[in-house]
Amino acid sequence: MDNKRLTLHKNHIFKDQRILLGLIIILMIAVVGIINPKFVRLTNITAILQQISVLGVLTMAMTMLLISGGIDLSIGSMMTLSAVVVGSIIMKGGNLFLAVLAGVGVSTLCGLFNGVIVAKSRCMPLIITLGTSQIFYGISLLIAGGSFINFQKRLDFMRKVQLLGFLPLMVIFMIAIVLIMYVLLNKTKFGRRIVAIGGNEKNAYLSGLNIDLYKIITYGISGVIVSIAGLIFAARLNAITANAGSGYELDALVAAVIGGVTFEGGRGTVLGAFLGCLLTGIISNALDILGVHAYVKIVITGAIIVGAVVLSNIENARKKQ
Amino acid sequence: MKIDTGNSVPIIKMQGIVKEFPGVRALSDLTFDVYKGEIHCLVGENGAGKSTLMKILSGAYTPTAGSIIINGHEYRELTPALSRDLGIDIVYQENDLVPTMSAVENIFVGKEITKPGGFVDFKEMLARVRALMEKYEICIDPLQTIENMSVADQQFVKILKALMNESKLLIMDEPTSMFNEKDAGKVLKLVRNIADKGISIIYISHYLKEVLQIADRITVIRDGSVVRTYDNSSRNVSLNDITTDMVGRPVDMFYKKEPCTIGDIMFEVKGLQLSKDSPVINFNVRRGEILGIAGMIGSGRTEIVRAISGADSRYAGDIYLNGQKLRIRNPRDGIKAGIAHITEDRQRLGLMLNGSVLENTLLVGLPNIKSGLFYNYKNYTSDAQSIVERLKIKTHSLLQPVIYLSGGNQQKVVLGKWLYAKQSVYIFDEPTRGIDVSAKAEFYKQMSALTHAGNCIIMISSEMPELISMSDRVLVVRDGAIKCELTGEQINEQTIIKEALGVKDHG
Repeated sequence: MDNKRLTLHKNHIFKDQRILLGLIIILMIAVVGIINPKFVRLTNITAILQQISVLGVLTMAMTMLLISGGIDLSIGSMMTLSAVVVGSIIMKGGNLFLAVLAGVGVSTLCGLFNGVIVAKSRCMPLIITLGTSQIFYGISLLIAGGSFINFQKRLDFMRKVQLLGFLPLMVIFMIAIVLIMYVLLNKTKFGRRIVAIGGNEKNAYLSGLNIDLYKIITYGISGVIVSIAGLIFAARLNAITANAGSGYELDALVAAVIGGVTFEGGRGTVLGAFLGCLLTGIISNALDILGVHAYVKIVITGAIIVGAVVLSNIENARKKQ
Repeated sequence: MKIDTGNSVPIIKMQGIVKEFPGVRALSDLTFDVYKGEIHCLVGENGAGKSTLMKILSGAYTPTAGSIIINGHEYRELTPALSRDLGIDIVYQENDLVPTMSAVENIFVGKEITKPGGFVDFKEMLARVRALMEKYEICIDPLQTIENMSVADQQFVKILKALMNESKLLIMDEPTSMFNEKDAGKVLKLVRNIADKGISIIYISHYLKEVLQIADRITVIRDGSVVRTYDNSSRNVSLNDITTDMVGRPVDMFYKKEPCTIGDIMFEVKGLQLSKDSPVINFNVRRGEILGIAGMIGSGRTEIVRAISGADSRYAGDIYLNGQKLRIRNPRDGIKAGIAHITEDRQRLGLMLNGSVLENTLLVGLPNIKSGLFYNYKNYTSDAQSIVERLKIKTHSLLQPVIYLSGGNQQKVVLGKWLYAKQSVYIFDEPTRGIDVSAKAEFYKQMSALTHAGNCIIMISSEMPELISMSDRVLVVRDGAIKCELTGEQINEQTIIKEALGVKDHG
């Protein structure tokens, strides 16, 4: 796209979140790789990618919603609900294909449910989805009854089938979702329209767009993506409880924000958000490899997140109102 | 262009339009029509109902009663989509573009050109924008993102966006209010150009000279209904007739500052630099004086006063009031020192829009009178009431949120807030932009009164009559530096414009 190139003037290049994040990631890989060469081995790289595959997919859903001017804090429980539905059908001896279909369907319905309420009530999506998150969690509890849902290794193919011998299917899924989201938001009519809605909703309305419909569809697509995250999640853990996915929505939000996506809408890039997600994954893995104590690791992770967000916002902080 | 209003049928006719908002009747029984290829100017004080009328045409508002006849069909109401399908397009006064997208994409929001599969065809869109730019002789960078564009270029993007729809009727709401005269001239030429190609234009403006120069017909609106429609096809309508119609009584358009004894130097700025490499600025204002600051938009006028009042940080320089050096690091310090800063953007910077008239008026002044943890604004209603009466602010209650007031009344609330705070140095940045003539007169009267009370005023303005008739002295700013100081007879339109543009006299 030509217009991207024009906005990247020389002095803007370090302000571009993607380049900044890329440099930080390369620096981290270099430093940690020198301290402990195990870090840069192919098996560890595969491990990192597997570790972030659930978050990566969720971050894409969150990114799309944020750019379109929305937000969804229920994607953690939505993902769990979707996985619980898949698992309970498998446990009853159901067909795997039908189970997956049901999982995708439930999650899509949850997304549409959020979308309809947000669009039609014109309430803040932050609060609405915080509420629906409880609903989805409650339904998961009703289905799972507080005990483990076991996938009976039926989803193991997602980990075992590997492209080129090092890229498991779940990682391929994540990469595919990232690419699809990039094309959707940058190249398609639908995508450009939701970016326009996020950037200036009043203008989009006056341009004759059916804002409500676009919002509902956006939340619906987010639901589909979340169900894919649910499948990867199930494949990785093989057994889950109804609250296994809680907290993921905030991780996805943080990854997107580190990647330069903002709450105000219309701003941010898919690549940036993915790099934000990759960065959190690399930090977590590096701290493990360096043998940092688990509790200390949590503190350091938090500090690095705060640092990254502050650093990326430094221009705005200097400007006064 | 001579419009044949006798024989042909208007492309749009609005009949008996009524629009009521809670507590306010914005339009009452209004009738209005537009013919093909005409420039129909709509004038009236702020709050007269022009913007409401236009929002009904664009489908943003639903009329309470009345009908709209377009191409022989009668409509009770329009929606944005229907309005656009009927060929009506509006260029809003407020910024209504997507700041993060390029000009091309903004022009095509909602009507993107696609390749099979729903993919956007950027190349084709760019080509069409370029073709349109050539047709109407508009010169902008279509690939630039909106937030990196000048205000003037953004305005051209909005106009291009409307033209791309192949609209039959283009509504322009104050298209030149953000411009200096040179850019305004460009817009006017473009408007004429568009009308000559057969597109009708409804043109709303406070700049009456502009209106007289460009209009084929002029309709004056007052209190929600039409006062009169003038035929201006031979450009012979007089300014006086229109202003009389607008306010219902003759107005002194060029209010002059009342003579006032000018005292000692009261306020002084020494060695001010906004950044390391920016020019050094020195000036002073005397007691009872109005110091005008002229310059093109973007010349750095606003930045200078923002640095003085503490809104922006400064690199170097000292500020003195009555010989005392002030320590100003932020607006709080500025206010404590006695500086009032009436900012140029009242909606964004000057008011709590959802707050009441009461709260907005007392906001700055009350902490000076009362300390402690708890405020009860209601104990000070009489204070606010006196400000409202003094400035003739039209509001049906002190508890009315200012967002519902007209632009002129909003601006009066801003002034009222600072008057209540009893400051001594008043900085006005474009005090009368986009407000009607009677509100303007009120502003000028208050400014005179302030100088009589022994205060001093720094006034940035793009309006020549205002600068010339109100200022005792004028500084002209260009490229962030004070280029010259004008006094007495030197203060005239030609000198100011020449200095502001940096044009040298030949011979």
